[in-house]
Amino acid sequence: MNSFITLFSGELNRMRKYNILAAGIFVALLWVGVLFFTDIEDITSMVPLIVFIDATSMSMVLIGATMFYEKQEGTIKTLLVSPIGKSEYILAKIFANISSNVLTLVLIYVYAKLFKEINLNFFGLLGASILIAFFHSLIGFIMTYNTKDFTEMLMGMMKYTFIFTIPVLLEQIGFIKNETIDKILYIIPTKSSSILLQATGGGMDNWKTWFAIIYLILATLGLFFIVWKKFDDFKIKESGE
Amino acid sequence: MYQINNLTFKYPKNKENTIRGISFQIQDGEIFGLLGPSGVGKSTTQKILTKLLDRYEGQILYKDKDLKSYNKSYYEEIGVGFEMPVHFSKLTAEENVNFFKKLYKTNLDTDSLLKKVGLYEDKDKKVGEYSKGMKVRLNFVRAMLNEPKILFLDEPTNGLDPHNARIIKEIIKEYKEKGGTVLLTTHLMNDVDELCNRVAFMANGKIVEIDTPKNLKLKYGERKVEVEYREGEGIKKESFDLDALKDDEKFIEIIKNKEILTIHSKEMTLDDIFIKVTGVSTDE
Repeated sequence: MNSFITLFSGELNRMRKYNILAAGIFVALLWVGVLFFTDIEDITSMVPLIVFIDATSMSMVLIGATMFYEKQEGTIKTLLVSPIGKSEYILAKIFANISSNVLTLVLIYVYAKLFKEINLNFFGLLGASILIAFFHSLIGFIMTYNTKDFTEMLMGMMKYTFIFTIPVLLEQIGFIKNETIDKILYIIPTKSSSILLQATGGGMDNWKTWFAIIYLILATLGLFFIVWKKFDDFKIKESGE
Repeated sequence: MYQINNLTFKYPKNKENTIRGISFQIQDGEIFGLLGPSGVGKSTTQKILTKLLDRYEGQILYKDKDLKSYNKSYYEEIGVGFEMPVHFSKLTAEENVNFFKKLYKTNLDTDSLLKKVGLYEDKDKKVGEYSKGMKVRLNFVRAMLNEPKILFLDEPTNGLDPHNARIIKEIIKEYKEKGGTVLLTTHLMNDVDELCNRVAFMANGKIVEIDTPKNLKLKYGERKVEVEYREGEGIKKESFDLDALKDDEKFIEIIKNKEILTIHSKEMTLDDIFIKVTGVSTDE
């Protein structure tokens, strides 16, 4: 536990020093800018969309950025011969990542509350954002394990976005209205992520919300196990196979 | 401290074994040199001993217990010094050291160590602004900061000027005198000669020679003495059998009557032994 706290605070410190946190805040301010320039007063339906994009994409990018920095600087090697558990290492990164997502969420929500109209359950939004960011941080780990550099990792992320994120967004904004496609989308984790965020505005069928929660929790547990297990292969690779 | 029996290892993507059934031991309080050209399995052996690789065959006992039975607490007992930089470049040296210190239960007085290696004055500089030699010294501090019982060092003086290399070697000697054990990997045979109690030469994943540097020199060297002396206007060189020296009249006559320029026993250097037993030069 002590190692986790050290690793977590170390992650936050490095995110600050390497301007990763600043990049996160910059993106959050961009979203605030989008909200500022929009004519719509009630942005209840827009905020879940923004949080959805941030919690999915930024989570993957930030994991990749911090891990590739560690690879590039060789620090991963020295961390691997330190008295830390692999769960501690993985969780410290994820929680640091979630902190950045939460900061973005708070910035957007505060702006919306002060200058626009918003009717979302903040704590529901917070919980959903954490769960989605946790899951997508794990996706970020898988991508980092399987790519040689940050550019390749970004390409992987783009593929994920095209396959899993864009169809859900198109369906959410009403561009896709086909019922069969809508049903098929339930297979992918981004659909559950979207449902969960929309549910914070109310009016969502209970079964859909519960489905999304259970889906994401189970998927997160399963993925965490894979990330944990595959860490050994990553260790071999990073120690200079 | 370590007993390695019939250790074999193959990387998942390789067809052939990188380590091929090696056996040796590292005794408590010794500096053990693991030597050989690149790619013969030295680093792999070190990675296995530092638990970075665990899918090996054979047996490794650390303090009479199977190495595989140790968990992360094993890292409280070891320090690993890497050849390449392993620090966060946008953090200062002190921030790096403090971060890694917090991961351990036991800590060394790092300020004193930073002073010894000549980095104390620059501890507030970002590591990215450090020279190669400074990074090498900081790596050494990183390896020592948990007061390890065993130190794994990979080329600890590579890239250092003679003055700083001397400081690092003195610290290693002090560490050994206090009971520390060292596994040293280096291409610099002078360092090996000066520091190591025993050395193992590796070639093709196997240990081809293991002994003290002195015994190896005796084993591979010629028991001869070569004398260079002035003879009239010229210089002459003669070689004598070391074991029959006291009865060798010619040798005694030269010593008594000639101006000696140089006199050397013909023992082999570790460089020569390296080339002889591994089949390649130390630069490779």
